[in-house]
Amino acid sequence: MTAVPDIEFRAVTKRYGAVTAVSGIDLAIPPSAFVALLGPSGCGKTTCLRMIGGFEQPSEGQVLIRGRDMAGTPPYRRPVNMVFQQYALFPHLDVEENISYGLRQARPRLSSRDISSRAGEALAMVQLAGYGRRKIHELSGGQQQRVALARALVNKPAVLLLDEPLAALDKKLRTDMQIELQNLQREIGITFVLVTHDQEEALSMSDFVCVMNGGRVVQLGQPSEIYDEPADLFVADFVGKTNLLSGKVAGLSGDLADVALADGTVISARKRGPLSRGEAVSVSLRPESLSLSAPGNGSLKGIVRNRIFLGSTAEYAIEVQGIGSLLAKADHVIGQGNLFKPGEPVAIGFAAGAPLAFPGPKNNGTNQREDQHAEILS
Amino acid sequence: MSAGSQPALSMRGSLFRKNFITALLLAPAALWLVVFLVLPFVAIAIFSVGERAPEGGYQAALTFAQYANLPARATAFWNTMVLAPAGALACLLVAYPVAYYLALRAPDRWRLILLALIVIPFWTSLLMRTYAWMYILGGRGIPALLAYVGIEDLRLINTPGAVLLGIVYGYLPLMILPIYVSLERLDRRLLEASADLGATPLSTFLGVTLRLSLPGVMTGFSLVMILLLGEYLIPTLLGGGKVFFIGNALVDLFLQSRNWPFGSAIAITLVLVSVVVLTVANRISTRLSGARRVDLI
Amino acid sequence: MPKSYRDGLPITPDKFVDQLMRLKRGSISRRDFLGLTGLGVATAVMARELGIMPTQAFAAENLGDRMSIATWPNYHDPQTFENFKADTGVAVEVNVFGSNEEMLAKLQAGGSGWSLFVPTNYTISTYKKLGIIEALDMAKLGNFDGKSEDSRFTAEGTIDGTIYAVPKNWGTTGFAVNTKKLTKPMSSWKEFWDTAMAEGDGRAMVHDYQLTTIGNALKYHGYSFNSLKQDELAKAEELLLKVKPHLFAVSSDYQPGMRAGDAWMTMCWTNDGAQLHRDIPEIAYVLGKEGGEIWTDFYAIPKDAPNKPAGYALLNYLMNPKVAVKEHLANGAPSTDARVNALLPKEVLDNPILYPAADLLKPLEFGAAATLTDPGRAELMARFKSA
Repeated sequence: MTAVPDIEFRAVTKRYGAVTAVSGIDLAIPPSAFVALLGPSGCGKTTCLRMIGGFEQPSEGQVLIRGRDMAGTPPYRRPVNMVFQQYALFPHLDVEENISYGLRQARPRLSSRDISSRAGEALAMVQLAGYGRRKIHELSGGQQQRVALARALVNKPAVLLLDEPLAALDKKLRTDMQIELQNLQREIGITFVLVTHDQEEALSMSDFVCVMNGGRVVQLGQPSEIYDEPADLFVADFVGKTNLLSGKVAGLSGDLADVALADGTVISARKRGPLSRGEAVSVSLRPESLSLSAPGNGSLKGIVRNRIFLGSTAEYAIEVQGIGSLLAKADHVIGQGNLFKPGEPVAIGFAAGAPLAFPGPKNNGTNQREDQHAEILS
Repeated sequence: MSAGSQPALSMRGSLFRKNFITALLLAPAALWLVVFLVLPFVAIAIFSVGERAPEGGYQAALTFAQYANLPARATAFWNTMVLAPAGALACLLVAYPVAYYLALRAPDRWRLILLALIVIPFWTSLLMRTYAWMYILGGRGIPALLAYVGIEDLRLINTPGAVLLGIVYGYLPLMILPIYVSLERLDRRLLEASADLGATPLSTFLGVTLRLSLPGVMTGFSLVMILLLGEYLIPTLLGGGKVFFIGNALVDLFLQSRNWPFGSAIAITLVLVSVVVLTVANRISTRLSGARRVDLI
Repeated sequence: MPKSYRDGLPITPDKFVDQLMRLKRGSISRRDFLGLTGLGVATAVMARELGIMPTQAFAAENLGDRMSIATWPNYHDPQTFENFKADTGVAVEVNVFGSNEEMLAKLQAGGSGWSLFVPTNYTISTYKKLGIIEALDMAKLGNFDGKSEDSRFTAEGTIDGTIYAVPKNWGTTGFAVNTKKLTKPMSSWKEFWDTAMAEGDGRAMVHDYQLTTIGNALKYHGYSFNSLKQDELAKAEELLLKVKPHLFAVSSDYQPGMRAGDAWMTMCWTNDGAQLHRDIPEIAYVLGKEGGEIWTDFYAIPKDAPNKPAGYALLNYLMNPKVAVKEHLANGAPSTDARVNALLPKEVLDNPILYPAADLLKPLEFGAAATLTDPGRAELMARFKSA
């Protein structure tokens, strides 16, 4: 064991009556990391965050902060601070009063000079110098977000908790804030724990992503690991876009499985989990791992139905007989007019090692995904 | 050109229709206000500069003698100015915990029932409910029970305590409801945020809950206070007529000594005092809660 | 319609109610009603006997179906109004008041809605002066007999030879004492006020009524009950302000407090004293030997009475000695009418609360009209109450 983890969950279970929100989680978050808890709504990620903050008590197990068991420690005695969803700024206080709120609670008391100088620094840190006397309702959403950050960070917490902090911002602002948050974390060097349902946000900002589903941690790893080597079908489907193809195991050899797809094509896929011959599996193929070419070569044949040109890339929806619609993504190189047109037949190829075979039929994962889309829209 | 003027004309037409409908909708309320508020107020204002007829009542005059005579009811004004805020405060002290429990602690399925229980007694007239207290506090009520356990000759009725109790009882719902509304609207995450920032439950209560419920508190306080400024029933029935509010002075002036002009002068003064109270309360709660606008009543 | 055996039978209950309703609506006359319901003969006999229906005016006028009366608390036999309703179909709404001032205020404001009310002697001249009471049409009051009235009590109802009010009963204003709680015998207003500040601390009540409260405070110093003199009123005020903190209540509704045992002593009118003593023997009624008030309550009809015929009818009904005697038995105040006294049982006539000894009556004064409208006394009362 090296350094003491900033946050540690030991067999933590949280039940609300008959409903189990979090079930038996073990988790250690190393110091000075930017960690994202990612999952669809109801996966238990917010409950975990609230247990760190002290707003919920585990039904079983322990939550430790810097090695100290937090059982019975109320929120106001925990060395963590939170940036709340929709910020929860005090409407009756101005910006500076909001920021210095935590400092005023400190015992022994801080001098008012200290308080105002630290509040000033925090304001400057989030680029709001000169906004101290503004009322909260006079600020834009982005500014409120910064005040919430400053209000939490000014207390120099061991860990900063962020509950969907960017959900209320528009897309452009969200991207800016993502970068800003990353910079801040590096600057201050404390652990950030971010709760989000937005996989893009999780992948782009964090050092570690902890994917949760159904009250359990499904996978913990660096963003690239999560994306490239999803632990299960759920992760594969939830993180990033992917094509899921149903099939049956036709043969096994070491790490590889031969999978017979619905149209009879047999492809070789890397095994994710124990498989046996004849078992129903789902094969994940990332859109960017597909390559399109003129008919004749490639493993699968299809017809382009839609083309979405995005500048640097183009996305194609391709109808493959017996399998369904596949999404393919191709880089666009300027001057190379290799764009396929809707209605054009194409051959689809993929790099060896790109297909991943997961046990089980595909509907579970896809359903979850749709739920999540619905949630984002609402 | 003509094509352009056509829509403008029809717009004016629809605007007129809209105004007409608005006027029609407002008419009953406006009529009500004029007949039952403005006209009586004007009448009272005219009476107040008149003279008392020799046998009582009003006779026309133009004099400010009635206003000059206001100090003759200074004690009653003083009693009211002390007892009305004190009564409102006592009411507040009882109402706040109730409202707090209802808004923040009561289980959801009980909340509506509890609220109904608070409001239902209001369906009976205050007179009836105050009479009930007369009997509860009277010699055959609580004192009779206490006599069983050996506490003899205890007098509860016609004491300042009885009046205070009557006031708290009578006006409690008026205090609870606005506070309840303001607490119920309170964003619970603010309480969590406060705790998260290191505030103990007490300083969270003082710094966030109480501060943000101040509009409700001030609404309830001014509502009760204004009604208490004109109160006469409770001091008469539970105070034995010994506690003399300005409301009692008014009743006596109109119903006993039949000094309408002086009574009118007092009534006008009372209205002005109420307006001042409302304005001050509004200012304070706006300042303290940091809200842009405060709904009074 | 052929005759049948049914013709000889009394009317059925359903039919009776149906006819009663028609009578109430005015769609049939009273005489028809009596005939149709078979009550005619009996009622006619009873009416002659009791003197309810001797005049033509009564039968000729439409009495309507309701009227209202303003009077004092615990002042009537409720049965009287029930009987009146049964006889005439007129329902009587009873309004009770705490002071003559309040009655005057209502009448002065107009629209009181009363067709009969019960003012006290000293207020009648003011009502007449203000022109708000009716000169009584004695032709409609056949049951009233001026000759049988004790002239001591009737004088103020007649002004310049015109009768504006006829007496209901007379009485005194003394005080009631719970002798179990306050054992020291008392016989004067001085003792009343002194006891209120000593043994009776917190247990004494005075009227919410300037005439008696100020009047009996004046008696403490031996001044006239009706005094309007500045210096004498000042002394009375001094006493009242001194007593105020020791009082149980300032209220004219003192029976509940006395009955519950919260109050031990109160200013009291004859009839209340008699009722309290009848129900709770330890409550005694005392007349101050310095004097105090003697009074007569009258019946009068407001000029703006909405139902004058019913007002006259009820008044005439109440003037019937046989009705009046029940009233006196119920409320306990002595009658002014010799015909009524003749019907009262001996124990009532011997009751010293109702009929005090002559030497106790002698120093008593009737209230003076001037006290009713004097602003000085009104303001004194206000100062006392707000102190």
